[in-house]
Amino acid sequence: MHAVCSVRAVENALGIQIPPNANLIRNLIAGAQMIQDHVIHFYHLGALDWVDIVSALSADPGATSQLAQSISPWPDSSTAYFKGVQDRLNAFVSGGQLGPFTNGYWGHPAYKLPPEANLMAVAHYLAALDWQREFIKVHAILGAKNPHLQTYLVGGMACPVDFNSQAAINEHSIAFMQDLFTQAETFVKQVYLPDVLAIAPFYLEWAGLGEGTGNFLSYGDYPLFQPLAGQTAELYLPSGIILGRDLSTVHLVDQEKIAEYVTHSWYTYANENEALQPWDGETKPNYTGPNPPYDRLNTDGKYSWIKAPRYEDKPMEVGPLARMLVAYASGQPDVKKWVDAALGQLKVGPEALFSTLGRIAARCVETVVLSEQMVPWTEQLAANIQGGDLRIEDNTLWEPSTWPAEAKGFGSTEAPRGALGHWVRIKNGRIERYQAVVPSTWNGSPRDANGQMGPYEAALIGTPVANPDQPLEILRTIHSFDPCMACAVHVVDPTRRETGTFRVS
Amino acid sequence: MTHIAIDPITRIEGHLRIEAEVDSGQVTDAWSSSTMFRGIEIILQNRDPRDAWLFAQRI
Repeated sequence: MHAVCSVRAVENALGIQIPPNANLIRNLIAGAQMIQDHVIHFYHLGALDWVDIVSALSADPGATSQLAQSISPWPDSSTAYFKGVQDRLNAFVSGGQLGPFTNGYWGHPAYKLPPEANLMAVAHYLAALDWQREFIKVHAILGAKNPHLQTYLVGGMACPVDFNSQAAINEHSIAFMQDLFTQAETFVKQVYLPDVLAIAPFYLEWAGLGEGTGNFLSYGDYPLFQPLAGQTAELYLPSGIILGRDLSTVHLVDQEKIAEYVTHSWYTYANENEALQPWDGETKPNYTGPNPPYDRLNTDGKYSWIKAPRYEDKPMEVGPLARMLVAYASGQPDVKKWVDAALGQLKVGPEALFSTLGRIAARCVETVVLSEQMVPWTEQLAANIQGGDLRIEDNTLWEPSTWPAEAKGFGSTEAPRGALGHWVRIKNGRIERYQAVVPSTWNGSPRDANGQMGPYEAALIGTPVANPDQPLEILRTIHSFDPCMACAVHVVDPTRRETGTFRVS
Repeated sequence: MTHIAIDPITRIEGHLRIEAEVDSGQVTDAWSSSTMFRGIEIILQNRDPRDAWLFAQRI
C-alpha cells in the first residue's frame, strides 16, 4: 500500500497521468490486499479475543453442524468435518502444543460463545488459513510476489498486458484471477459474514463500548476511470470526514489541514507545541524514555515513537469503520445496502457502529462490498486488452530533465487499516523531504499539545476490565482497530516472555 | 487504582505498548505507545523520487 501511495505522491508532484489499465491493476492489487487482510484480521488476529479455543473441545460436532447449516450454505459443514477439526484441536491440546493458541486467556468470564459456536469459529480459522494462501496468488500474477510487489512504476505499472504474449497479463492469468475472485466472494459471503453475524449477538454490549474520538477520516480510494453502469463517482469508496459522530454531514477532506504534533512523541521540533503540515514535516528522533525493561513510561512527557496527526487540530479515526461511515453517509449504494443488511440482522441502529463491535462489523461489510467489485474490474481490464488498449504506463515525464526544479506532491490510498498519505518535495531531481502519515499513526497517536487523546486511548476509556491480570477487554478494543505499528522490522527481547509482558502495580 | 502495562500487544503487526489505569473494574485513563522507531523519511532524503516506492513499501 505504501508503494502505490508513494508513486501517487510523485505522480502528483510531477503532473503525471497514468493509463486506465494501470489504474485497474492498482485497484485489483489494493482490493485483493484489502480482502485478504480483513479475513486474516478477523480469524487470525482478532477472533481469539471472542472465541474460546478450549471451549470448542466440549462442543457437540452434530450440533455444530446444525448451527453452521442454519446460517450458511457453505459446504464444509458436516458432523464429520467438525469432528475432524475437534480431533485435531484435541491432539494439539493433549500434546501440550497449542502453537498459535498458547497464552490465551481461555476460560476468561468475558468469553460468551457456546461451545458449538467456538468450534465453528476454530474450523473457519483453519479454513481461512488455507483460503488466503491460495487467494493471494493474485498478487503473484499482478505484482510478481507478495509481500512487496515489484511491478509499481512512476507513471503506471511495469506488468505488460497482451493476450498474445506468454510473458504478460493474458487470457490465462485473467481467467485464473477470475476464479480466485469468485472463490473469494463466496468465502466472504458464506463464511466470514455469517460468522460475524452469528458471533455478534453474543457480544452486543460491545456495540456500546470502545467508541473513541467520534471523528472519522477517509481519503477514499479505487479511482474509477471507466465507471460501471450506474456509477457516477470518481472514487468507488468516497473521500470525506465525519465529525462528532454526525452522519448527516460529510465534510470535504483538504490534506493541507493535516498537521502533526510531537509534544508527546520522541522527536524534536523547533517549537514543541506547534504542529507541522507534512510538506514541512521533520523527523528528528529524540528518545527521552526509560531504558528497557521498565515498568512505566513518563506519560506527562514524551512517550511514543508515533507522532500525533490532527485534522484542523482534531484527532481522527481512520480505517474500515471510517470508510464505511463516510460511504454510508455519502449514500454509496453498495455500502448502504450491506451496512443496512448487517444492522437489520443484528436489530441495531447506525449508532451501534460507533464501537468496538462496529469496527469489526464495518471491516466485514467492506470485505463483502469489495469482493463484489473484483470480477467486474477484471472484466474491464480484459475488455480493454481485447479492444487493443495495451497501454500500461505513460513515460513522457520519466526523465528528470523534464521536471521542474522544484515540485511537491501528495499521494493517498486507503490501506486495509485506513487512510494513508505520503507527502514529497522534489528539488533538482532528488527527494528533498518526505513524510508518511500512516493509518496507525492516526489511530495509535499519543496526546497532542492540547492534551487530546488519540483514538486508541480515547476508545479505551470506560472499557470494563474484569481481571487486571488478564486484560482481555483492552485487547478487544485495541485489536478492533487492527494495529500495524511498523511492518518490516521485528525485535525480540530474550529476557521477556515470548508473547507478552504484563506488569500490574 | 491499578496501573496495567501490556507490552508487546500480540496478534498485531509491529510493536505496541498500552498503559492503562483501571479503577473499580473500568479503564479510567490510557496511553498508546509505539516502541519502535521507523525513520523511512530520513532514508528517503536525497534519493531519486522514482525509487521512493521501493523503500516506502518496506514501512
